[in-house]
Amino acid sequence: MAVFDIAHLNFSYPECPAPALQDISLQLKQGEFAVLCGATGSGKSTFLRMLKRELTPLGDISGEVQFHGKPLSALDDRTAASAIGFVMQKPEQQIVTDKVWHELAFGLENLHLPQREMQRRIAEIVSYFGIGDWYHRETADLSGGQKQLLNLAAVLAMQPEVLILDEPTAQLDPIAAAEFITTLHRLCEDTGLTILMAEHRLEEAVPVCDRLLVMEHGRLLLNGEPRKVLAALSEKPELLCAMPAAARLACELSHEGDCPLTVREGRRFLHENFNNSVRSLPLPETAPTSAAALQFKDVWLRYEKQGADILRGMAFSVQTGEIFCILGSNGSGKSTTLRAAAALQKPCSGEIRVFGKPLKTYKNQSLYRECLAMLPQDVQTVFLRNTVREELQECGASDPPFPMEHLLDLHPYDLSGGEQQIAALAKVLAANPRLLLLDEPTKGMDAAMKLQFADILRNLKADGKTVVIVTHDVEFAAICADRCAMCFDGQITAVGTPGEFFAGNNFYTTAVSRITRGFFDGAVTLEQAAALCRTNGRKEAAPCL
Amino acid sequence: MRTFSDLNPITLAVWFLSVAGICMFCNFPVVTGLSLMAAVVFFLVRNKTAHRKTHLFFAVLFLVLALVNPLMSHNGVTVLFVLNHNPVTLEATLYGLNSAVMIVGVLYWFRSMTQIMTSEKLLYLTGALSPKLSLVLSMSLRFVPLFARQSEKIGQSQKALGLYKEDNALDTIRGKLREFSVLITWALENGIITADSMESRGYGIGRRSQFRTFRFTRIDALLTLLTLALTGLCAAAIGTGALTFGFYPALCIERWDSLSIAGILAFAALVLLPTIIELEVNLRWRFLTSRI
Repeated sequence: MAVFDIAHLNFSYPECPAPALQDISLQLKQGEFAVLCGATGSGKSTFLRMLKRELTPLGDISGEVQFHGKPLSALDDRTAASAIGFVMQKPEQQIVTDKVWHELAFGLENLHLPQREMQRRIAEIVSYFGIGDWYHRETADLSGGQKQLLNLAAVLAMQPEVLILDEPTAQLDPIAAAEFITTLHRLCEDTGLTILMAEHRLEEAVPVCDRLLVMEHGRLLLNGEPRKVLAALSEKPELLCAMPAAARLACELSHEGDCPLTVREGRRFLHENFNNSVRSLPLPETAPTSAAALQFKDVWLRYEKQGADILRGMAFSVQTGEIFCILGSNGSGKSTTLRAAAALQKPCSGEIRVFGKPLKTYKNQSLYRECLAMLPQDVQTVFLRNTVREELQECGASDPPFPMEHLLDLHPYDLSGGEQQIAALAKVLAANPRLLLLDEPTKGMDAAMKLQFADILRNLKADGKTVVIVTHDVEFAAICADRCAMCFDGQITAVGTPGEFFAGNNFYTTAVSRITRGFFDGAVTLEQAAALCRTNGRKEAAPCL
Repeated sequence: MRTFSDLNPITLAVWFLSVAGICMFCNFPVVTGLSLMAAVVFFLVRNKTAHRKTHLFFAVLFLVLALVNPLMSHNGVTVLFVLNHNPVTLEATLYGLNSAVMIVGVLYWFRSMTQIMTSEKLLYLTGALSPKLSLVLSMSLRFVPLFARQSEKIGQSQKALGLYKEDNALDTIRGKLREFSVLITWALENGIITADSMESRGYGIGRRSQFRTFRFTRIDALLTLLTLALTGLCAAAIGTGALTFGFYPALCIERWDSLSIAGILAFAALVLLPTIIELEVNLRWRFLTSRI
């Protein structure tokens, strides 16, 4: 039985000649877990909003959306609100009230449910999600992952029949994101809830979904079982780059047959199809060491007198002209390190040197003039004009440092997460800093945008700039960093080139490295693994059955 | 076992408004004295030795309030001494002292109440009046700290971008204005998402109900009735003039009869009620744990 029956749906925004959606037909069956992917701007969000009446944008619509055989517009208000649940991207801004319990009750209050029914549903949902510990907390004190889980729980308390999610994990760190997707999968298995999710973090989502939908330029390009869709995608590198590493490796090596999806399947695929007589690639020449751009010497820092130490003897040194990535989990002190380097937070003891001079000797804001600039995690705090062009003119950047003409006349808030990051970076570069500090730059970026961003950083490096990045994103660090460092418990516990660093880690490493572990040595990125496979060649005989 | 602060917010509000009302309309020294004493004892029972600064502040305030009246007002018949050609009278001194006792007593009650009446209880109370009002309150309670946090973030990121060119006042003011403008844009843009989230969860489709986190039990009902009865007795005594004290021109008690005594006893019971509940719970706990 179809929950949603969508036939020949077309949509265009007012005063916009190009249609946003073209001829989309789709049936979503009861209990299905469907994942919708596509590049930024391909119309994913617009499409999802057509399925939730309250959020449907103004514009020309043709075609029909039926929910359980009834046109969407014919549903009564209560059913429209409660039967179709919708979770959006930003965890913080979706929350309405100040307390966790009140947020869970919000939708139920709107439905004017009796007291006992509300209590029962809230008790049920709190127990299912295990949020009893923070039931009485303030919503503002929750972490990003907890906030998004709360948004999900608040929608589910209304007992929807179908759940629509618009990039719910884009603002979460990888661990919280994986947990969120696991929760969705469990919901689907436990309760038979129908789920339609737009997503660009596909490493975790594709292996658990029943159906993969691919959109491009407002059209539904592919629609079907994930392995079949992946096989059809090998012609489209810009869409393929977002897929799970195992699948990309198989496509890269033009594998025919069933496409591996998980790390486990990827390992089997390698073992069955390839030799490993050559185990590693020749090591690239290590660059000669140059003068230090940023040095931390035994830095200790705490925010409050009685509070715990956030940095506990932090010590490292970044060389001029390198891209240095600091990785680590939430609360390990990564962001604090960056803020201390930008003199936004004073250390209690220890010394920080920028280009050989102690931070204290930079007087009268001279630190921020042609020396150091920091891009914060929340880039929206950077913008204040009506268009990107005005933003750049304001800080005296006549022409953008990299191609972004198509963004110049848009409002900064209308850009996607990744585009906002690029616009903010252009603004920062106007001050001509020699040392760039970036906090979680890949948050909210899709895979294609990440590759583009890595290119931009490499160009900056070629111009002699030093870049320090704090990130959760191991895949991004593996492709763009010269050196990576692991931050844990307020200290740096390991430093090395991506090859050494990730090959040494078993769990906290890239998917490719987990696939090739024990088979090849030091293969961290897809290119390295593919090159090794090609050098070794395929196994001659088919594996015995 | 519920302490006083665990009672239903309606009971708490009725009790608090009653005590505050009586304290404000009655200047009978025994009443003001009882109020201050009970307020201090209740605060100490709840907070033990913490909040020393609060006590210090109230003590200083008490002295100032008590001293201001005799220095400013020269009514009264009994002159104690003459200061700068102005007589300082016994009546004005006692009046000042009584006012100080009353005001500091009420302030102590307010201090305890702000500790007890958390935002959740206030929401419950406003929700009983109107669920919409309660939602607006809840959203503002969320937005104020959110704004403060975002504005600090904006300040830091604009600073690290090199917004402040020099260390001078003009540049700082200009920077603050820009930060404010960023904050407003951020609030408006993100308000749209909150509005979408509200609408998609059925806000505005009809009447709203209110999720209640507090139950109104028999004890709550009993205590509310008791509070109202005691307050009624006090009000009767005050209304008929049985608890009126004249300071000027000379000290005098206008009426003293059984209603006065009943009023004072009722007020004593009323203001000591929270402390009694609090102590009783403490004792019961001690008894129960001693048996384990």
